Amino acid sequence: MAGGAAHRERIWDPALRVFHWTLAVLVIANWLLGKIGPSDMTLHFWLGYGVIALLVFRLVWGFVGPATARFTRFVRGPRAVVSYAREMIHPHPTYWPGHSPVGALAVVAMLGVLALQVTTGLFADPDDYINVGPLASTVSSETSRMALRWHNRGADLILILVLLHWAVILFYRLWKREDLVRPMIDGWKWVRRR
Amino acid sequence: MIPVKAIALAAALALPTLAAAQDAKDAVEARHGFMKMLGINMGQLAGMAKGEIAYDEAAATLAAANIVALTQYDAPALFVEGTSSEDMPESEALPAIWENPDDFRASFVALREAAAGSPDAVKGGQGNLGPVLQKLGGACKNCHDDYRKDD
Ligand code: HEC
Ligand code: HEM
Ligand code: HEM
Repeated sequence: MAGGAAHRERIWDPALRVFHWTLAVLVIANWLLGKIGPSDMTLHFWLGYGVIALLVFRLVWGFVGPATARFTRFVRGPRAVVSYAREMIHPHPTYWPGHSPVGALAVVAMLGVLALQVTTGLFADPDDYINVGPLASTVSSETSRMALRWHNRGADLILILVLLHWAVILFYRLWKREDLVRPMIDGWKWVRRR
Repeated sequence: MIPVKAIALAAALALPTLAAAQDAKDAVEARHGFMKMLGINMGQLAGMAKGEIAYDEAAATLAAANIVALTQYDAPALFVEGTSSEDMPESEALPAIWENPDDFRASFVALREAAAGSPDAVKGGQGNLGPVLQKLGGACKNCHDDYRKDD
């Protein structure tokens, strides 16, 4: 591991940053609406459609967006993951120019579980005749029941992944003394090419 | 050799268990049927509210009256001991029902209260269905959230 001195670079484009913070707000709000919201879940549905729009944008951006947003650039093989994981435990910044190979796994997991969550939501039928997923009537009642089941489990998965997401960010901040949040806000990050 | 008396005793002891098993199955089937009847009438109202079925005042009133009639039935009594989702694969009734019997009963009474007056409330046009459905559906949801297994 060599490379020159760390320098500041604009690694997150504005669209990706807006995507991230809108996603965070919508997912937290919708999770809470699901758990403790009113029994009329209309707002839950609308915020859910918002999340669908964001995920579609992210999918497209992952192919046509700037380099740091592209899946092909940050999703790496097991060798790179293991090698980064070894480096990651040391108490100093990694100055990685984008999502690290380990971070990439979390990105893919979060986007994947969210995609699953909105899909199962569309087909879920809680048998209350007011909050029926808009596509539930296109499938059998066993399927819409299963969708509801996975929507509920998905909510737990999202909670776990998001808590992990926050824990790792805190780990970078406190143990590695590297601030990942600031770059997600203004786009600029200290990086070192290698 | 097993004495005849012992066999007779064993049979006498086994009989009530068999009968109880049948009672349990009947209770689960009965409450599934009960919920389905609620569902069919809710489906009528929801279909009209969404415009999938043409609004028909007499049909709406009848569906609501059916729901009122159903809520007069003592449905919580169908949730007999030993029929929770942990006892039988076909049951989705959470053990919480038997841990909080009073609250479970109150959730059912809440549906009865939500249904009160609905046969009149659904009269007068499609637009009147929405609020009635929200009230009824909210009562279904509240009870399902707490007492129906869905994970
Ligand atoms: C007091 C609680 C309570 C209320 C109120 C309630 N339900 Fe249920 N419902 C349950 C429980 C518990 C089950 C699971 C029963 C089982 O599997 O044994 C259930 C199951 C169901 C099922 C599935 C039945 C099956 O065949 O598996 C349907 C459909 C249903 N409810 C519809 C409704 C509708 C519609 C309403 C409102 C009009 C409603 N329920 C109100 C407690 C309730
Ligand atoms: C429910 C809430 C959240 C979700 C679902 C979520 C999801 C995501 C996703 C999908 C990414 C990848 C971005 C991309 O390339 O598309 C990401 C990155 C990031 N998130 Fe979040 N996020 C949430 C909340 C937060 C919060 C509250 C913070 C701040 C503490 C935060 C900080 C970050 C940072 C710093 C990155 C960049 C990580 C890196 O440098 O590789 N996130 N998040
Ligand atoms: C990121 C997006 C979403 C999140 C985080 C989310 C989260 C949740 C949560 C936490 C619950 C409550 C589960 C429980 O009872 O434990 C729930 C219920 C539900 N959600 Fe979502 N959801 C999302 C998107 C959607 C979408 C897009 C739809 C449909 C259009 C949808 C439809 C439903 C339905 C029908 C229920 C069942 C309500 C019930 O059981 O009474 N959700 N959701």
